[in-house]
Amino acid sequence: MDGNGIILSIKNLVKAFPKDDTEMIAVSGFALDVKDGEFICLLGPSGCGKTTVLRIIAGLQSATSGELTLKGKPITGPGSDRGMVFQEFGLFPWRSVKKNVEFGLEVQGVDETKKNEISKRFIDLVGLSGFERSHPNQLSGGMKQRVGIARALASNPEILLMDEPFGALDAQTRNLMQKELLRIWQETKKTVIFVTHSVDEAVFLADRIVVMTGRPGKIKEIYTVTLPRPRDRGHPDFINLRKKILDELEQQRQGT
Amino acid sequence: MSSLLDMRVIHKRYLTKDNLIRTSLMIVSLPIFIAFWWILALYFQGQNFYYLPTPLEVWDALVQAWTQDPATRLSLLANVYASLVRFLLGFLLALGLAAPLGLLLGYSRYANALAFPVIELLRPIPPIAWVPFLLLAASFFWGPILTIFIGVFFPVLSNVIFGVRSVDPLIIDAAKTQGANRWQVFSKVMFPSSIPYMMAGVKIGLGVGWMCIVAAEMLASQGGGVGAIIVGGQTVGRYDIMFAGMVTVAVLGILTLLIGSLIERRVKKWMGME
Ligand SMILES: Nc1ncnc2c1ncn2[C@@H]1O[C@H](COP(=O)(O)OP(=O)(O)O)[C@@H](O)[C@H]1O
Ligand SMILES: [Mg+2]
Repeated sequence: MDGNGIILSIKNLVKAFPKDDTEMIAVSGFALDVKDGEFICLLGPSGCGKTTVLRIIAGLQSATSGELTLKGKPITGPGSDRGMVFQEFGLFPWRSVKKNVEFGLEVQGVDETKKNEISKRFIDLVGLSGFERSHPNQLSGGMKQRVGIARALASNPEILLMDEPFGALDAQTRNLMQKELLRIWQETKKTVIFVTHSVDEAVFLADRIVVMTGRPGKIKEIYTVTLPRPRDRGHPDFINLRKKILDELEQQRQGT
Repeated sequence: MSSLLDMRVIHKRYLTKDNLIRTSLMIVSLPIFIAFWWILALYFQGQNFYYLPTPLEVWDALVQAWTQDPATRLSLLANVYASLVRFLLGFLLALGLAAPLGLLLGYSRYANALAFPVIELLRPIPPIAWVPFLLLAASFFWGPILTIFIGVFFPVLSNVIFGVRSVDPLIIDAAKTQGANRWQVFSKVMFPSSIPYMMAGVKIGLGVGWMCIVAAEMLASQGGGVGAIIVGGQTVGRYDIMFAGMVTVAVLGILTLLIGSLIERRVKKWMGME
């Protein structure tokens, strides 16, 4: 880590996809420094490049140009120092909850006792004790995403990347999972980059909200949210900030 | 007690009018077929055509074949055993080769490009077309086995290739972000997710396998076999024996398919994919 507490640094990120003999610029001039332990929300309309940015941080896609460093080291490919949580869960259907959570440890050759200990800790943390032997198809959406979070945390990543993780859940479960995530974040002190297109979700969760615009995707505005947690959705400050961001997104939409 | 309970559960779940009708129809299906067969056989025999034996005559032939079938001079069980051994050997050989090859061809686009034209050239050749060659080049023992091998090999191969290609890219990404290397992505993600497809190929192979074995045994076989019963019946002019052989094949086919489905369900359940 640089002395200033920056864990992830993104400089002038550009991503172009080939499209009918030419190129489609999906992300352009994206720059962001993320502090250790920070909760960042990437917010923007769908198609604005949020997933692309997150997948490049994860190392699942390469940047066309730009510089990404995690703890000072350039990002060159996927690795267990970045855990990812997917909207559609991405669990291994043939593995039990326990075996899903242990996947990263297994791949790293962690021994049996250590594996048991770590998976138990994170299964407990996400509130799934008693479901160790269940398979994903026996779980509800919310429970599946708890497994996804436990799995991502089990290999002790520096940073947790979450791509609309609650997008496939019903509203009630979604609100519950937001609270659960904040609890887990506070207990593990992980840095989180959380992609969402819900303003409400971003204001509820984030330390900083990075608002993106589309075509090409770039950062429009960064809001620092100072509202104390747990946040009250009915609080005037909450409502004001949400309205402000919504207005900005609306302006953006009419502009295009 | 437990069976009583089962019955109640089944009734509760299935006792809708539509299901009742369908279940009844399925129950009467076979008796109707046998009745038609019987009437047809009696009618032909009344006209002095003796080609079609009645079900009772086939049953009698089966009883006779049970102790010693007049053509092969073997008991029914010995004949079935001879076929089963061939079936199992050819089947396992095909599975053992087609599964790894399918994994390779599904994974590596270069390997696939190399093998694809050859496979597509060989696939359309009916397994039975190989029999004369195999009986000469291999032996009366290996000839039928290799025929089954060819019959089972291709369906398993194409299903495994398809299985590897159908792996959800999301779980591959998930594995990569968990730090899995290329080999681990293959062995821990692609291989297990292709298993259900492999099982589907196996089930197709089970059906094709019996076709091949009977065909091969009818051309030549050593030490009996169900195909030999049928041809033997022909050489001694016993239609009832021929039918007894056919019934035996049908029963064997159904049994292996049932076992195949059972294994498939077990595997799926074990993998949590049920
Ligand atoms: N693999 C790809 N190939 C071509 N275009 C892509 C690819 N992935 C994303 N895009 C395009 O890039 C833009 C941003 O996509 P994405 O990052 O998925 O947006 P978001 O997650 O904000 O909805 C979209 O226009 C999308 O069509
Ligand atoms: Mg997206």
